Amino acid sequence: MTTQIHTNNPDVQDIVRLESVSKIYQQGQLEVRAVDNISLEIDTGDFCALCGPSGSGKTTVLNMIGGLDVPSSGRVWLENRDLASLSRSDVAQIRRDRIGFVFQAYNLIPVMTAYENAEFVLKLQGVAEKECHERVMRVLQEVGLEGLEHRRPDEMSGGQQQRVAIARAMVTCPAIVLADEPTANVDSHTADALLDLMQKLNREEGVTFLFSTHDQRVMDRARRLIRLHDGRIESDEASH
Amino acid sequence: MNLAQMAWRNVWRRKRRTLITAFSIGFGVLLAATFTGMAVYMYGNMIDASAATGFGHVTIEPAGYNRTPTLDKRLSDSARLRQEVLVEPGVKAAMVRIMGQAMFASAAKSVGGMFLAIDPQQESAEYNLLIRSMVKGRVFPNRTGTGIVVGRKLADKLNLRIGKKLVYTTTDTNGEIVSEIARVSGMFATGVSEIDTGMVLLPIDRVRKVLAYAPDEATLLATMLLDQRKSDKLRQRLEDRVGGAGREVLSWRQTQADLAGMITIDGSSNYISQFLVALLIAAGVLNTLLMSVLERSREFGVMMAIGMSSRRLFRLVMVESIWLALIGLTIGIALTAPVYWYLDIYGLDFSSMLGGEDYSVSGVLVDPVMRIRLHAESITTILSIVFGLALLSGIYPAWRAGHIPPIESLRTI
Repeated sequence: MTTQIHTNNPDVQDIVRLESVSKIYQQGQLEVRAVDNISLEIDTGDFCALCGPSGSGKTTVLNMIGGLDVPSSGRVWLENRDLASLSRSDVAQIRRDRIGFVFQAYNLIPVMTAYENAEFVLKLQGVAEKECHERVMRVLQEVGLEGLEHRRPDEMSGGQQQRVAIARAMVTCPAIVLADEPTANVDSHTADALLDLMQKLNREEGVTFLFSTHDQRVMDRARRLIRLHDGRIESDEASH
Repeated sequence: MNLAQMAWRNVWRRKRRTLITAFSIGFGVLLAATFTGMAVYMYGNMIDASAATGFGHVTIEPAGYNRTPTLDKRLSDSARLRQEVLVEPGVKAAMVRIMGQAMFASAAKSVGGMFLAIDPQQESAEYNLLIRSMVKGRVFPNRTGTGIVVGRKLADKLNLRIGKKLVYTTTDTNGEIVSEIARVSGMFATGVSEIDTGMVLLPIDRVRKVLAYAPDEATLLATMLLDQRKSDKLRQRLEDRVGGAGREVLSWRQTQADLAGMITIDGSSNYISQFLVALLIAAGVLNTLLMSVLERSREFGVMMAIGMSSRRLFRLVMVESIWLALIGLTIGIALTAPVYWYLDIYGLDFSSMLGGEDYSVSGVLVDPVMRIRLHAESITTILSIVFGLALLSGIYPAWRAGHIPPIESLRTI
């Protein structure tokens, strides 16, 4: 039985905090600053987007918040835990228990059905079978996939696959959902439906969403826009 | 879904590749089983044939007889020793014998050779190759008569027929040259030239009289076992019980050292060939699993991103290699079973290829019909080694799967 890592401290307002974070890549002799001395906080319940042109550092910031990448300097805090001070397995555990990921594409495990993909992380957590079933069915219903539980990814549309990915991200009741270009590979009608869903989850479940995007539709719906340019924050403002 | 189910589904994502790899494992099993089984049959056959020629699987002899087999060295109390041996588990038969060198002369000419003096009541075709190979006449009925059974080629050389006389001359225990007349009662043709031109059977009590042996003396007690593989263990047990006091207990490896050496060398080269084939198969399995891992880099990146640990990913790929190995073993058993059945029942007849009558290697009879024989431990060993190699081949791909940083995997498209 694995142990979930979670913090129920009501005093935690900042889900995420970045302190003077930089990320430098070496390309031969050249040094590329993908992220350059960024500091920001993401509050609980935020529905915000990191936006900017390609190469501005959006995905890199998202990956560092998700513990997938390590900053060259500075610190990343998730629920008051410094990710740099944790071991690889602890970081993996945090990703499993506290973070939901939605990627642009290739989200799902091809050999698993929608149900199995959604329950995958619960199985990693060691959740009992009965509770697994209840939670998965509830979340699939929430994302509008009731009746499609037994379909495999190659039997679903792009929009349905993204819904499964959202279901998987949500089923563990994460502290934050990190979505990297979630609408990039779907048509506009599907994109709107997905954004409606995520807004609904944010509103009703209080889940924090952070997008990396250059999709105007996402930016229009975000309550906070953090614009990046050449790895730096150009602006950080409430959008409405 | 558990890891085993997930691994099973992953294995079948590329059906053709999985089946090709599994069939290569299966053919590895078939090759190993067939080569090993045919070698085991041939070696066992040769050992049994050699044992039936004189010394048995385990021999009790006078000390020093194996190095210098002279007739002045003899066992006493051979009847009692025989009874001690017969109660040992696994012993089929024990025969008191006298073996020595002699000159055989007829009116036509004389020829040197070996005699094997036997008690026909103790012997049978099953334990005595010469009796099994009788082609004319019969073995003398008792131990005291004047009968002699000769090899057919020896008979041809000496111009002998059934009923004709010959004289054999040897040296007795006192070092005196002694001779005796015998009448041909039968002829044998083993197919081994050295035996057919140079060996005869004589009644043991008649020979004892000629050699001035005491009634219970002999030069060897030959033991035949149900399973020749237990020779060394029986040798040790008999050594502990009846060894010493001027006696040696030897297995066929010592009395038939040339044969033992040939089997060791042939067996070693057989194993080397099989090892090389196994390496090739392992390389194929490694290639399949590595390709499968590299193709799924992005997928593994997503799995690690959503919380799967690298250790679990390692286990997933290892379970895939286990499934692949099991599928391969199943195919291997399915391929091997009919081949084994055919070779066990019918064998492969190489008589026409060998030609002539001499089916021997280094003086040991070889069955021209090649069959197969696999013991339970050989089957277990083959399957274990093939399974183990398939698993070993999975270690690097599994390690690779768990050790690519998720960020690099996610960049893969």
